[in-house]
Amino acid sequence: MKILVGVKRVVDYAVKVRVGANGVELKNVKMSLNPFCEIAVEAAVRLKENKAASVSEVVALSIGPKQCQETLRTAMAMGCDRAIHIHTDLRGDYMELQSDSVAKLFQKVIEEKEKDVDLVLVGKQAIDSDCGQVGPMLAGYLNWPQATFAAKIDLDGDGLMVERETDQGTETIKIAKLPAVVSCDLRLNEPRYATLPNIMKAKKKKIDQFQADEFDVDLTAKNKVLEVFEPPARKEGITVDNVNQLIDKLKNEAGLLQ
Amino acid sequence: SFLDSLRSNADLAHVQINQNKYDLDSHGRGEGHHPCAPPSAILVPTSAHDVSQILSMCNKHKVPIIPFGAGTSVEGHVSALNKESISLDMKKFKKVDLPIDGILEDACIEVGAGVTRHELNDHLRHTGMKFMVDPGADASIGGMVACGASGTTAVKYGTMRENILGLECVLPDGTIAKCGTKALKSSAGYDLTSLMTGSEGTLGVITKVTVKLHPIPGHVIAAICEFDSLHEAAEAVATMRMCSIPVERCELLDESSMDAFRRYAASSGDGKFELGAENKPTLFLEFTGSSEAAVREQVTLTESICDDFGGSNFEFKADESERKTLWKARHNLYYASLALRKGATDAVLTDACVPLSKFADIITATVKDVKDFNLVGPCFGHAGDGNFHCILPIVEGDDDDYIAKIHKVNDNLIRRTIDVGGTCTGEHGIGYGKLKYLDSQYGEGGIKFMKELKKGIDPNNIMNPGKVVII
Repeated sequence: MKILVGVKRVVDYAVKVRVGANGVELKNVKMSLNPFCEIAVEAAVRLKENKAASVSEVVALSIGPKQCQETLRTAMAMGCDRAIHIHTDLRGDYMELQSDSVAKLFQKVIEEKEKDVDLVLVGKQAIDSDCGQVGPMLAGYLNWPQATFAAKIDLDGDGLMVERETDQGTETIKIAKLPAVVSCDLRLNEPRYATLPNIMKAKKKKIDQFQADEFDVDLTAKNKVLEVFEPPARKEGITVDNVNQLIDKLKNEAGLLQ
Repeated sequence: SFLDSLRSNADLAHVQINQNKYDLDSHGRGEGHHPCAPPSAILVPTSAHDVSQILSMCNKHKVPIIPFGAGTSVEGHVSALNKESISLDMKKFKKVDLPIDGILEDACIEVGAGVTRHELNDHLRHTGMKFMVDPGADASIGGMVACGASGTTAVKYGTMRENILGLECVLPDGTIAKCGTKALKSSAGYDLTSLMTGSEGTLGVITKVTVKLHPIPGHVIAAICEFDSLHEAAEAVATMRMCSIPVERCELLDESSMDAFRRYAASSGDGKFELGAENKPTLFLEFTGSSEAAVREQVTLTESICDDFGGSNFEFKADESERKTLWKARHNLYYASLALRKGATDAVLTDACVPLSKFADIITATVKDVKDFNLVGPCFGHAGDGNFHCILPIVEGDDDDYIAKIHKVNDNLIRRTIDVGGTCTGEHGIGYGKLKYLDSQYGEGGIKFMKELKKGIDPNNIMNPGKVVII
């Protein structure tokens, strides 16, 4: 089995984002591997460690500026064998490069560069754009089966048995035959910390470089972002001194009591 | 009033002043049994400069001030014994100096005093390095320095003292002082970093700390082994040290702790370690190494040592999630112990540390006291360091007799400890509850030395007065 894992470089989840004239401020802001992509990498590496899966190699793919190479090195430190970097300086947080173009670039990689991919693993969504579209769009373009929001992935004959998390509960989906696309959700696994020896080894692993515009893909945004703004500041609450005051406020200010 | 002077200082206009009753209460207590003693106000500075100005004003007006980190101390460190005290909440000091490309050049990093240890390790998660000191609580780094904290990894990596290279602090007169450097060792002048370690906010306010980091272990195996007696378990540990086994964690739990542990594991529903039918003193061990073979060697040798001392049911686990569950259960033993007495929200935690040769005797004597007095008091501890804790839960409504017996257990323990050359506190600190033991522990000379230092640095006694040393 050959696995392709999508990894995206995004603003670190712990950063308090600020909005400037051109959308979210990215200058000097800490960037990291998207948490859901991290889960996808972990899933790929665990499949590789599972002898029954017979994984020949795990390839990580990232699209973005040259610093994506750091993100790819992290993915390789976790266990990916090699990586592909498609270089573009277009903003990947929905401002410029959007899901449709990303899915098409993935498709080009699979059809032209890595022709024998059996399984594509991606995070369910990126935490900057929150779109959750690349996985399903890619499956659509490739005409491959898909299972999204995977909380459990088991080998099942020639295919996979995937448990999918929904708001109503867990759905079990049988993918009869590979190749397929699976997007990974929070409860699938807890990603490993890369150890220093593996980080050192990752520096020597191969990253193939391409330019985004050398593929025959339209990179222009399909949707236009009209405005980016911070949510309005929460109004400060007040403390009241006694129950009578509370009732008075609930009645006369909040209009919640009659 | 003092707060009015603060408010009229334009330089400090951005510093939040909080007098909400509930917040004052939460800033007047830690996680021990000491009664809540709320401060009169909470200030939230954002920089060392803010702290410097605040301290100079407190010094001028002779207003006591108590630095506050995560509020997880257990010896009454933050209790405002003086009602006018100001609480200085360090929660805005959250800077972690990680390079933008995430690559650390040296095995150290500078952090704001308000960063907690879990927050720090989260920031470091892709660097391959980790901050190793792990007390039970998710304490702030500044607080951990002030308390001289340590945890289950001290047996291999040392305590806070051995894991910091330097710090920045503000003295009571407003002086901002740099202590230590980024070098791994130094002989330059007084060791101010060590002086501040364990000073419990009585000498100054820590604003930044340069902590040491260690590589995340490549290969880890956790193991447990049951013994018929605490003595045999302690002897096994001593032998392991003689064989130079570089054990990463070495914890000993008595029967009562094992009871608490099992109930916690059962209720939390995760992780399965096959334990024998009855609760027996048990060693919890962890081994790390650069290769699987290296770790297995340690495990094999340890198994045969445990066997020599009558150990049974030796079991080891390499799986990461199972190991994590095991140590999570160990770290939560405080709460599991409280749960042994329904309705308990507080406990007396003992914290004596003795030379290794005396460890077995001292923990056995305490277990016996707990039994003789008919109390609930699980005993467990860092067998590799000679330090253990007895958790004695208190339920509201406990009669004076029960409470008196609880304190007698602690008192007996500390007396025996000091008699064998140990310390009344291995990691939790003095606060104000253990002041009375310092005389017998250090004698006149040692106490005088501490008083002179305190008088020299804080002549107006504004820094957390009533703790550690009285002037």
